[in-house]
Amino acid sequence: MRGFFISRLVQLCVTMFIISVVVFFILRLSGDPILVVAPDFFSQEQIEQMRKFWGFDKPLGEQYLTFVTKAITGDFGKSYLAKRPAMELILERLGYTWMLAAAAAAIGLTIAIPLGILSALKRNSLLDLIITSLSSLGTAMPSFWLGLMLIIIFSVYLRMLPAFGALEPKAIIMPSVTLGVGMAARLSRMTRSAMLEVLNQDYVRTAHSKGLLRQTVVMRHALRNALIPIVTVFGLQLGWLLGGSVVVESVFSWPGLGRLMIDSISVRDNTVVQAGLLFFALSFILINYVIDVLYIMLDPRIRFQ
Amino acid sequence: MKIARLLLIASLVLVIGSLAIIPATAQDGMTEFVYAHSGPIRPMDAHSHWYGSTHHLLNLYYDCLIWRAADGSGYVPQAAHAWENVDPTTWRFHLREGATFHNGEPVDAEAVKWNIDRVRHPIGDIPLYQQWAFVKEVVVVDDLTVDIISNAPHAYFENDVSYNGCELLPPDYFEEVGQEEFNRNPVGSGPYTLAELSENDRYVFEAWDDYHSGRPEVDRVIYQVIPEPSAQVAALLAGQVDLIKGVPAPDRATIEGADGLSLLTESGNRMYHYYARVDTTSGAFPETFPDYEPATLDINVRKAITHALDRHLLAEVHGSASARLARVCSYYPEGFADKYADPDVISEWYDPDKAKEYLAAAGYADGEGPTLYLDTPVVGRGGSAKEVAEVAAALLEDVGFTVDLTVRDASAFAVEVQRSGNNRELMLAALGCGPALLPLFYQCDWSAVAYSVCDEDWDAIADAIQVTIPLDERLELWEQWWEHYIDLTQTITLFEITDVMALNSAEFDFTPRKDGWMTFRDLKLADM
Repeated sequence: MRGFFISRLVQLCVTMFIISVVVFFILRLSGDPILVVAPDFFSQEQIEQMRKFWGFDKPLGEQYLTFVTKAITGDFGKSYLAKRPAMELILERLGYTWMLAAAAAAIGLTIAIPLGILSALKRNSLLDLIITSLSSLGTAMPSFWLGLMLIIIFSVYLRMLPAFGALEPKAIIMPSVTLGVGMAARLSRMTRSAMLEVLNQDYVRTAHSKGLLRQTVVMRHALRNALIPIVTVFGLQLGWLLGGSVVVESVFSWPGLGRLMIDSISVRDNTVVQAGLLFFALSFILINYVIDVLYIMLDPRIRFQ
Repeated sequence: MKIARLLLIASLVLVIGSLAIIPATAQDGMTEFVYAHSGPIRPMDAHSHWYGSTHHLLNLYYDCLIWRAADGSGYVPQAAHAWENVDPTTWRFHLREGATFHNGEPVDAEAVKWNIDRVRHPIGDIPLYQQWAFVKEVVVVDDLTVDIISNAPHAYFENDVSYNGCELLPPDYFEEVGQEEFNRNPVGSGPYTLAELSENDRYVFEAWDDYHSGRPEVDRVIYQVIPEPSAQVAALLAGQVDLIKGVPAPDRATIEGADGLSLLTESGNRMYHYYARVDTTSGAFPETFPDYEPATLDINVRKAITHALDRHLLAEVHGSASARLARVCSYYPEGFADKYADPDVISEWYDPDKAKEYLAAAGYADGEGPTLYLDTPVVGRGGSAKEVAEVAAALLEDVGFTVDLTVRDASAFAVEVQRSGNNRELMLAALGCGPALLPLFYQCDWSAVAYSVCDEDWDAIADAIQVTIPLDERLELWEQWWEHYIDLTQTITLFEITDVMALNSAEFDFTPRKDGWMTFRDLKLADM
């Protein structure tokens, strides 16, 4: 087990290094941020002056080294536009993104797993048809459209929920439902197919023939063995949510990381974009790390391998 | 199964725990006005950026010495209660006795000097100094009197001292805490204090009891960033915001039919133009297109373009605009470009036959005009730039041009075309239209960055305009200046944008400012 953790830690460091190189150089290649920050009427000389102030006049290699040495200590530099540390801006938004991701994940799991199991157990029935149709609809429905429809129904007509922001606890309902529905649709399909595969296995038949309760067979023998692909998909979805669900955050004006990233990308505020991208990458890697640990808990054979 | 339960419980715990960071909404009976700002909003250090829509908000929070009257009729006092032109280059400002910043620091002559000296010097990343280059010196006469001395007589002095960067920041506090901390916890001098600041998301301003000119009528003004226009409309219809700007055309009928809401229109103080390439040396052009000779170097081609464009049609395609031939907005009171805003003159200007004649004069046979590369962003201010460009391309092709249209997103357009000077024949420029800076943009020493035409006579007129104080003499100069503008055809003006706003008129009485600024010092409660 110790070897497993050490090898994963080394992998994490190598991956983060590669990502930092890619992020840094791609952003530099994508254009000159000073051209966005400087007013239209600035002369070349004035632009050069600004470039020097922000350290863009130095060779790229030197800029990268400065960036990495500081980034290790959590210093990603100052946002060109907000004139505040980039990491501070990220941390301000992080709580909102986590909250939204967690709420969406809770909704997704609560809907997806029971429906996926039911659908598998009642295969080819009317109920199965309804559940699979709903999950196809949920997958196909653009979150942008669903979000606006919810706003029109619950904010404009029923006046029950706030249309924007994170100003009161109930403000989280619509954005999390919008995200959770899509997640539930994808997870329920995965749950159904994983359960169908497991339900035909010999050990499930054996469990039935031993006279175990159906509920026990399904929940303890079948679901546990079906969980590996479900957990994988869940992990990927969660990583995506933590990366900031850009569209939903824009529709609901949710002050999360996704909106911060969009704003920063559109004006090439590279310090914030760099910090944000590295943060997303780290979140994804850590989630995968947790998923790997869950695999071991779910399937002891992986531990022995 | 334990795992699934674990995941679910962990998610729920995280949701419940993190809900604590959501603040409770104030229900305190204060009158509250919410404006949906499209964002982004820049820092509270007003001198550190030139983004107009942030200065709109900063105007609630900071006083300037003087300010532009809402109806465009002149200037009104703010920190200075009176001002006078002592000699052709010296303006004297008399400050209000007892006026303070929100932290009690005095708004005195030293504070004014510190602010203007800060904004006019190219120190660090203060990008506004070019706009303040007319100031030679700021002299403290006594505690409540300050002189601003310009390099030369300046016809637009009052306009320039009441524009971006005019905001007064508290010197002692700023120097004590530094820029970074100031942006987190700013201190202002205007009629509203800042009760809540969530960077680029929500700014809650509350009326200040001690403001020198009295407490504002509306207790609380909130700038809420809502980027999506459709979400802004929904929030307005849901009664959760009170004013939105840039109402999408399909939603206007719904809003007009809703109880308590009304549509307002006013000049947006912005115009659409096509910039024509008239040189091959400026910007990144020589490196990007080393052997390319744009057709628009020929003045006859440029004249063919201007006569090929039906501006009334283009304004209609935009959705809320009025056709124009000259780059001056209706807000500016001097009225020197009236004849170029006359709808009949503009109708006559559209003349495909004349366009063909100019093309023939440029050596192109009928129907065989040159290829024009036209660059545009997808969305311009207040409407779709893409559709405007598509119609413009069709009109140009009607007279014989071949148009190669490239549509980019706003950010790519700004960096790849606009700023680096990579346009070949034509590019969209959605720009302001004030007379104070306008002549400067077309002077020879600006041509390196603005890739404009350099004409010595035109330059001399621009210089004269800046230093000619008597209005009638200045108007004569403007007549000559516009003739050059129209004749040289570097900037092909299309239309002036009209902002369409929707207001909760049941509760608030708001008259849009003529300069297009969305600031709410004069906001009133509606008569019930």
